[in-house]
Amino acid sequence: MTNTADTKANALSMHNISKAFPGVQALDSASLAVAPQEIHGLVGENGAGKSTIIKVLAGIYQADRGSVWVDGAPLDQITPETVHERGVRFIHQELSLVPHFSVAESVFMAQEKRGMLGLDTRKMRRLSEAFLAETLGAEIDGRTLIRDLTVAQRKLVQIARALIDGQARLVVFDEPTAVLGATDINTLFGNIRRLRDTGISIVYVSHYLSEITEICDRVTVFRNGEDVGTIDLGGATAPPGPAPSDTDSAWSAANGAPRQGEIIKLMVGREITDMYPDRKPEAGETVLEVSGLSDGSRFSDVNFSVRTGEILGLTGIIGSGREALVDTIYGIRRTRRGSLTIDGAPVKLRSPAQAVRSGLVLVPRDRRNDGLVLDMSVGDNVNMATLDKVSSKLGWLMRAQARRQSDEFAEQLDVRPRRSATIVRFLSGGNQQKVVLARWLATESKVFVLDQPTTGVDVGARSEIYALIAQLATGGAGVIVSSNDLTEILGICDRVLVMVRGRIVAERPTSGLALDELVALTTSSAAATADQGAAIYGPEHRGGLEVGA
Amino acid sequence: MSRRAPALALLSRYGFLAVFLGFFIFFATRSDAFLNTSNLVNILEGNAILLVAALGMTLVVASGGIDLSIGIAIDFGGWLAIVAMMDHDVAWPLAIVVGIAVGASVGVFNSFLVVWLGVSPFLATLGTFFIGGSIQQIYTSGGGQVPFREMPEGYQKLATGDTLGIPNEIIVGAIALMLFYVFLERSIHGKRIHAIGLQRSAASVAGINVRGYLWVAFIVASATASVGGIIATAGLRQFTPLAGFSYLLDAIAAVFIGASMHPQQRPNVPGTLVGVLFLGMVSNGLNLMGLDFNFRDALEGLILVGAIALAVSQRRVLGRSGASA
Repeated sequence: MTNTADTKANALSMHNISKAFPGVQALDSASLAVAPQEIHGLVGENGAGKSTIIKVLAGIYQADRGSVWVDGAPLDQITPETVHERGVRFIHQELSLVPHFSVAESVFMAQEKRGMLGLDTRKMRRLSEAFLAETLGAEIDGRTLIRDLTVAQRKLVQIARALIDGQARLVVFDEPTAVLGATDINTLFGNIRRLRDTGISIVYVSHYLSEITEICDRVTVFRNGEDVGTIDLGGATAPPGPAPSDTDSAWSAANGAPRQGEIIKLMVGREITDMYPDRKPEAGETVLEVSGLSDGSRFSDVNFSVRTGEILGLTGIIGSGREALVDTIYGIRRTRRGSLTIDGAPVKLRSPAQAVRSGLVLVPRDRRNDGLVLDMSVGDNVNMATLDKVSSKLGWLMRAQARRQSDEFAEQLDVRPRRSATIVRFLSGGNQQKVVLARWLATESKVFVLDQPTTGVDVGARSEIYALIAQLATGGAGVIVSSNDLTEILGICDRVLVMVRGRIVAERPTSGLALDELVALTTSSAAATADQGAAIYGPEHRGGLEVGA
Repeated sequence: MSRRAPALALLSRYGFLAVFLGFFIFFATRSDAFLNTSNLVNILEGNAILLVAALGMTLVVASGGIDLSIGIAIDFGGWLAIVAMMDHDVAWPLAIVVGIAVGASVGVFNSFLVVWLGVSPFLATLGTFFIGGSIQQIYTSGGGQVPFREMPEGYQKLATGDTLGIPNEIIVGAIALMLFYVFLERSIHGKRIHAIGLQRSAASVAGINVRGYLWVAFIVASATASVGGIIATAGLRQFTPLAGFSYLLDAIAAVFIGASMHPQQRPNVPGTLVGVLFLGMVSNGLNLMGLDFNFRDALEGLILVGAIALAVSQRRVLGRSGASA
């Protein structure tokens, strides 16, 4: 805990910040202290509270309790304006730039330079070009449109926009490398170090532990809404001599860097309980085979197969291409290359309707938007995919039969309340998820893909859903669980695929796999891909990314 | 749950029916002629075309869209049926088929714009509206009427005849009403269309063929509207270019008045019927009382806005207490 003297000396002090959302204590007396002229890392698993505390600092969320000090002076009212006034700047993960604006316009958006006749475009262009060249070391014509820039260049424009007024004292980078390739990351790191050396303090939020240990002076670890420790990384930072080459900097957690182990221990800090069902996996025939699948932007050359009775885990942090892969398999996104067979028969998936007909179903990650029609009843949602089973040939809905079918599956999954007329919007997250599962159970499909199946589901319903997943596999289906909750992956899956930056970089049986080893695999950043070749960081990789996506 | 919510829900659901009843009683006490059977039959008969058009609109709105070109389908249906009989000696039953087919083709064009090209339904059907209006003016020398005095009797009877003592217009309206009720409210296709209209991405992920149903919705809506146009030409023994437009806004109003009565504010067939009857009753009543007919539009506007505001406020109160963040 920091004392008052430290608070006065620190560039940023966030004291005992608490923030609750309905049903979730997102922050529980969390603190964060950043020294002047320091690059301070912030890590933690999903849901640990990293982004919540950043949003509190940005004035987007109002904290329930706690205080914030910037440069030794307290901030009474935290709004986006007051924070900006005190020199705190944010480089958001998503590229919040307008594609049709020029570089100069983007840099000066909402802080335009005025001349005698309205905007002084020439001055803005000159200033933005000079800033990009001198401070960030990038030669970019101020007239270039944002959409014609590479992703890395856009990141630099974002930084220029935050810093151009010269008032910045503290800059928060939120997952800045999620969309960058290895070379661009090194350039970015160079720029961050340069900023620090001009007296600016940095908060660096990232999932990639190898990046944290490379660039940060200290790192604070969050877990369950609290700060559980701050580690001094002094020795690991700013390697002497020439800038490290791609491969030198690409050391992974698995083969060194004891500090990463320390961080992981703090991040995880919990045991897998008996939340997960006991199961003896009995894998049968191959039911789903994916080969050479690419979508042309988010992932490439993905190969794997699932067998009946098997639960396959798929994991990877934000930007790994995991979500895009799931969507592509289900026909929501277009396939560029590669093929997919179900039960030995090749399938062309152009729409979810085709996937469902082929026996492949998806429990989507965004339950409230994609999983359920919220304003329809439990019964209607359960029957949604199997309406033709409860109708006459001409499509007359036989209500009694429909009711019987939905009741049967709702009962099997113990959906509560037990009233098929209840509007789904008013169910708890766990019960909503059961409704989605009940719908697919009724289809008797062969492959079940579950994307983040327990997001927003309370602990009790969680174990029920795990039991159901196990039941699906026992019943002879092939199951894929895609999740960024690694304990969940280890607890429920038989085998796990790890995606990093659009590729599957590891495949492991989960028995005997330690959690910290899995964390290391998913957070290995450029390391794991360095030896996979730099091809995926080529123009194709950049071109496919959309601004703001 | 807020204590205000149930009261508001009741008011929203049945408030409009109360207003409906209030007007009914008002007209009945103010005008001796209003409650006459023949007058009530007149109201039904006079609004059969609006009902048919509004049913088609209900389908499109239920699927999450809107059809501003419904007047074009009405015009084209009646126009081409007349042209077929007049210039090509087509038998009248076949001419009806021609009219409906031409009407349906307006829907095909809309679907092409919406489903294939991804234009929003509002803009796509607005485009069709302008194009269709222009075509009518070009081929009728700027909107001149197309009279057809020698219209076959069978065709005329669509609008002017009776069957078992019931005016044929009412029968056509009733058949359309029943078909739409079964399709939209009692069949699995209706369920799917409602799901698409409520939450398109969820419907798609559930394996519903969203594009296919959007095609169906636009085509059926236009084909149905063209039936209205055929009846209109049969009644007047002539085609009046651009006359279909007068039904568009009433049809939209009827659909949304009907939707405001649904617990989830969904467009629905019974609600649309109530909406159509209300609009018909008000204009009839004002007429009988010798009041300015133009009051009707103001009343229609007030009722529509009032009903929707009530429905929205109910949703807000319910949403605050029932739904999560």
